[in-house]
Amino acid sequence: MSAQDDFVQPPRLATWLLLLLASREPESIEGDLFEEFSGVVSRSGVAVARRWYWRQALHSIVHLFGSAFQTAPYSTLAAVVTGFLLGRLLFPLSEKAIFAVLERYGVFDHHFKVYVFFATNGVAISHVMTSMFVGCWTAFIAKKYGMIATIILVFVLFGMTGAACFVWIARGNTSMLFAPLPWTLLDWLAMLLGAAIIRNRRFASRAASSLR
Amino acid sequence: MSGRDYLGEFEHLIVLAVLRLGDDAYGVTVRREIESRTRRDVSIGAVYATLDRLEDKGLIKSQLGDPTPERGGRSKRFFEVTAKGVAALSRTRRALESMTEGLAAIRSYS
Repeated sequence: MSAQDDFVQPPRLATWLLLLLASREPESIEGDLFEEFSGVVSRSGVAVARRWYWRQALHSIVHLFGSAFQTAPYSTLAAVVTGFLLGRLLFPLSEKAIFAVLERYGVFDHHFKVYVFFATNGVAISHVMTSMFVGCWTAFIAKKYGMIATIILVFVLFGMTGAACFVWIARGNTSMLFAPLPWTLLDWLAMLLGAAIIRNRRFASRAASSLR
Repeated sequence: MSGRDYLGEFEHLIVLAVLRLGDDAYGVTVRREIESRTRRDVSIGAVYATLDRLEDKGLIKSQLGDPTPERGGRSKRFFEVTAKGVAALSRTRRALESMTEGLAAIRSYS
């Protein structure tokens, strides 16, 4: 291998996606791919190696998704369903809590701008925080397939939102359709972030216990 | 005996590859062994997903090696077939032999 090859790194996005879904010891799967990638770089060049790496990563992601349903179908499905229901339960509760506090302190009468902020952005922020909690919950229930279960939940919500938008547009209502979409995207990102936090904590505790 | 006592097709290949490789059985070598012997395109994710499943069933066990520079400082995870894994392999092999015994169509392919 030439000195130049030592500096060639595999595609970061592919690695990141793969490690996000790895259920156990992501370091070893990353090392295996790096070792093979370096070999392909030496034999066939960087462009071929990068294509090979992306192909490996995408095939692997499909298998990791399939593995979650093959190995732990009930816990994965239970995590997705309970995560969905938890969201349905907590989103209205968080809104009610905000409006109860606003009403309790008479914010509408004395600080109208503050009221408007909390009634709009405050509710949206509470949704983002709730989404993160839902992501944590889903990942916790699904155990080692937590990230996969949370991604499936996000896909379900994405599908439902897409269908709702389609119906909304089909009925000729286009006003105010796109305004909440950035917040909706943030909700989904927060869910994935919550799941990633649980996953990283799980890996860290497993690494610590293996060192003992 | 339940269906869980038998190995699936890819599980069968993985366990055999780990047995063949002995002390050098880790993700890369297992994948290459299966690819070279079966001429089948295998992704590292498929190998790890199956290895994880076999480990959960107690048919193989793994341990981390030392980090090496050619792997960007990351460790290898070495695999070993357990006694339970060998028993499952034997059982699967016997079942396959029993099912193919006396079949003229199978003889013509061998």
